[in-house]
Amino acid sequence: MNIIETQNLTKSYGDFTAVSHLNLHIRKGSVYGFLGPNGAGKSTTMKMFLGLTHPTEGTFSIDGKTYPSDRMDILKEVGSFIEAPAFYGNLTGEENLDIIRKILGLPKSSVKDALELVGLTQFRKRLAKKYSLGMKQRLGLAGALIARPPILILDEPTNGLDPVGIHEIRTLIKSLPRQFDCTVLVSSHLLSEVELMADDIGILNHGRLLFEGTMEDLKSNACAAGFPTDNLEDTFLAMIDEDNRKGGGTKCP
Amino acid sequence: MSLSLEMRKLKRTGYFFAFLAGGLLASAFPLVNMLVRPENFVSLPGDPFTILVDANWQMMAMLNILISICGACMMYHTEYADNGMQKMEVLPVRPSSLFWGKFAIGSLVLAVMILMETSVLSGCAVHWFPAYQFDFLQVAKSAGFQWMVTLPTVMLMLVLSSACRNMWVSLGIGVILVFTLSILPQDNLILSFFPFSSPYQTFSTAVEKGRQFLLLGVCAVETIGLGLVALLYQRVRRWYQ
Repeated sequence: MNIIETQNLTKSYGDFTAVSHLNLHIRKGSVYGFLGPNGAGKSTTMKMFLGLTHPTEGTFSIDGKTYPSDRMDILKEVGSFIEAPAFYGNLTGEENLDIIRKILGLPKSSVKDALELVGLTQFRKRLAKKYSLGMKQRLGLAGALIARPPILILDEPTNGLDPVGIHEIRTLIKSLPRQFDCTVLVSSHLLSEVELMADDIGILNHGRLLFEGTMEDLKSNACAAGFPTDNLEDTFLAMIDEDNRKGGGTKCP
Repeated sequence: MSLSLEMRKLKRTGYFFAFLAGGLLASAFPLVNMLVRPENFVSLPGDPFTILVDANWQMMAMLNILISICGACMMYHTEYADNGMQKMEVLPVRPSSLFWGKFAIGSLVLAVMILMETSVLSGCAVHWFPAYQFDFLQVAKSAGFQWMVTLPTVMLMLVLSSACRNMWVSLGIGVILVFTLSILPQDNLILSFFPFSSPYQTFSTAVEKGRQFLLLGVCAVETIGLGLVALLYQRVRRWYQ
């Protein structure tokens, strides 16, 4: 059963089409890796899911709820982390999470749990603007996870983290469906990273979906198309390169 | 809930301190005026409270406007500086309730400032005009009127600040509006309705010209109208983000 589905989802800015007729199918309880080079339209798609930007064309449904009529209900079910960490720099990490807790009507203990989950407990009293980039990322993740939402939308959540931090967050994301019975949509421009945590992947280039399926499907498709399969990074690069050569980059009606 | 939430967001921003300092500065103005040159006022005929309001309110209103501009800019700078606003937009909370929460705080601190100022004005009247009988109703009416006619300015500044991610842009527009509208003739009926101009209207002058209810009505409509424009703008902006 798909928890997130899009039908011809499109977003244009004047002559430029950021997302073009996207048809995504995200299974409930899976980790879905949303992959693509910078500017492929991953963040725009995620922003549309959260109602931060309106689709120009097409529709989507999240857990049976449609946008824009059910926007508030969608937001109640989704924990998110989009692009850069979003917080109030004049407040401490703990105070930032407490604001989210109040809005979501959660018990006070949820702040402590969220801080613990991302390893920020000892820095909870520090002003968020004084956090390092990695700590800001963790605070953003804590804000997304605090309510244990059934759906998580994470846009490049490991940006700015050191290798140990990347490993920790990756392990955490991988464990979320089992731990909290949730579905995770996680974007990245690194196949090697997505490969380690995703059950299904979707590859986006210039706003168009080039591939959707499991890692095994990707390998067999790549093999059939004559792309290298020894290294998935090379497979990904070959797919993108092939699409660019076909004119995918200029196909912006 | 949004009021307490908005209050929390202003922690460590210096917002409440700025309003307190502004209120004290504006309140000090009539006091210094009376300490330095009381003879200019005590010999004037008429109601002492009205004399003092007429003599000092232009400067006090300007300070109120400037502090309200700074307050609105600070509120939205806090939202935009570290993307806090974006986090709010992905939470199940209506943007309209956040906006009106900010307006409620702006109006409340303005009310506190005006109360401080009118208290000092009536204190000066009691001290320097021995024949003056303190009239609570008159002072309350005057304070309420000055508050109501300043609300469109508070609202317009919030609208501008919410639209501009860069605080210096909204601050610059606000300061330009203050000085542009302060040089326009204050006795012109139409001009007196404009935000940034209406706060200079005093209760006694409005009553004298029979405009008090008209001014209050227009300012109420402007405040609500500008608030609705802000909410409409927030919706439209999503199409282009």
